[in-house]
Amino acid sequence: MSIRAGALRGVFGAPVSRYDQASALWLLAPMLAVLLVVAVFPVLYSFWISLFDLRLTRPHRVPFVGLDNYLEVLQDELFWSSVWRTTSFTLMSVTAIMVIALAMALLLNEEFRGRRFLSAMLLVPWAIPYVANGLMWKWIYDSGYGALNGLLFQLDFIDKYMVWLGDSHKTLALIANAFVWKEVPLATILLLVGLKSIPADLYSAARVDGADLWRRFVHITLPALRPSFMLVMIYETMMAIRHFDLFFILTEGGPAEASHVLAWQVYVETFRKLSFGTGSALAYIMALVTFLLAFWLIRTLGRKL
Amino acid sequence: MARIRLESVGKRYPNGFVALEELSLEIADREFVVLLGPSGCGKSTTLNLIAGLEDVTAGSLYFDSTLMNVVPAHKRDVAMVFQSYALYPHKSVYENIAFGLRMRGHPRAEIESRVKDAARSLEIEPLLERRPHQLSGGQRQRVALGRALVRQPAAFLMDEPLSNLDAALRIAMRAEIKKLHHTMRTTFVYVTHDQAEALTLADRIVVMREGVIQQIGSPEEIYDRPRNTFVASFLGNPPINYLEGTLAADGARFVRGGLSLALPPELSKKIGAENGRQVRLGIRAEDVDPRGTGETLQGRISSVLPVGSDQFLGVEVEGTTLFFRVGRELRAAEGENVALSVNMNRAQIFDSSSGASLLWK
Repeated sequence: MSIRAGALRGVFGAPVSRYDQASALWLLAPMLAVLLVVAVFPVLYSFWISLFDLRLTRPHRVPFVGLDNYLEVLQDELFWSSVWRTTSFTLMSVTAIMVIALAMALLLNEEFRGRRFLSAMLLVPWAIPYVANGLMWKWIYDSGYGALNGLLFQLDFIDKYMVWLGDSHKTLALIANAFVWKEVPLATILLLVGLKSIPADLYSAARVDGADLWRRFVHITLPALRPSFMLVMIYETMMAIRHFDLFFILTEGGPAEASHVLAWQVYVETFRKLSFGTGSALAYIMALVTFLLAFWLIRTLGRKL
Repeated sequence: MARIRLESVGKRYPNGFVALEELSLEIADREFVVLLGPSGCGKSTTLNLIAGLEDVTAGSLYFDSTLMNVVPAHKRDVAMVFQSYALYPHKSVYENIAFGLRMRGHPRAEIESRVKDAARSLEIEPLLERRPHQLSGGQRQRVALGRALVRQPAAFLMDEPLSNLDAALRIAMRAEIKKLHHTMRTTFVYVTHDQAEALTLADRIVVMREGVIQQIGSPEEIYDRPRNTFVASFLGNPPINYLEGTLAADGARFVRGGLSLALPPELSKKIGAENGRQVRLGIRAEDVDPRGTGETLQGRISSVLPVGSDQFLGVEVEGTTLFFRVGRELRAAEGENVALSVNMNRAQIFDSSSGASLLWK
């Protein structure tokens, strides 16, 4: 086999023969084809659409408008208020997820009776699909027969049933609550894996060195957990920014625009107003923002991992 | 303070496993005690109990006259070196060494000078800014030692600190630890399964097996006067040889088949005259001489293993293979017959069934 300079390099940096390259490409070809069709093409095509004023209300005339869709979106007041609501939803959810998941992981890292049962129970919310989760919380929050009303009423915290999701001051927090409930299990498990990988000797050494429980947590657990913590935080931030399902099922962006977040606006533009051009532009802006945020998080926080 | 006293200390785990039963041991101030035994003998558990990393479940543990059973680890004035070194991976070498002082609230200037002193004495000054993952095994070992010695603790605990080093480094570090003990003038408790470490370092060795102390004594005592076959076998390289046989001539002779060896009068006096008693004769590998006179073993050489300065001979005697260490000058070939004179003054006699020594109680 001939090996040309600058050829593809294998796992250990050794040059790969041309024969190996060719056969590798053949073996990868089916998967590459699938990826091209289901991932690469739609992504590029939606960008293409975002450059046209494509409205299904007048499908016969589709003028090329360049970046006008983007400008239109950026000049829309509703876009900027959605950005704000998305941000506040993300901050609320991610903070709650990280705090609860860390506490749960620390708990499950200890040996106690019923630990296995609790670990199994923890997985239940994770196993529930988003839509089912949304419907469940819709019932819980229901103003007429909801479990939340029933519970609070019987405990005398409220004297009449409340229209929880109708209160624009509470809507985002209530949706965040449902989101957190669903996301905590995965976050807990990822953090637990991080905790389990900390060598027990480090704790022994710190104890002998005179560190009490709190200082062992600060000096051993936290720094060792940092990589997992950052990973989970970045992942959950991405999930929260792009989250759509609960908004669709619980409030449809309402009341008024109290839960009108970016993901919901993409849906409204595209499938309610049938304006595919601006919808795609909006989706692209969202993807770009998510990407930049992830990039920034990994660069700043991840560097210290 | 630095006298450590264990009184009938027991350790039973919640699952019922008994790691230690009724262990009693007194370690004097500034003594170097080595806990020696195979894995699972309870030596590390004993160390953890002293450090406070595990709870005593029976008996009492004292530092001087203070009962320590329920004093948490971080309030005991001991330092510990772990087999894995257990350096804090996110802290620099300096921070690793300073951590214990910092936790105990020493002033910053004092911490700095003590860390620098410790680093200087261990020759790791240039490494202070590095992280543990940037160090070699030997350097990590030194940092671990530094972290312990900077605290000037009342007792220094070491759990197999050298087992992750290569052979040459291990011997060099042994010498350093011995030096450290002299300069620190504090109590050392050292856990190992390596007999050579125990013999070179210890003032006293505690041989343990399955949670029970087999013998406590100076290295010479343990080596020369083992109380049972377990202790005798655990020390010595190659290990001690055993020959099963019977006593004859009122305890003055050991007989096995065609082999009959006269026991020196001092030995036979200790054994007592029980003719026909089943005994196990122990002969250390080095206690033979190819040129000597006196009691001799005749046998056929089954293997010759040169080890540089010496050679190990496998010799078939009365149906068992014994291993001896002899000088290189003996020209030996496999299959040849050989006559080795045995230094019977150093022979060990054990009870065949219990393994207990008939000479040393």
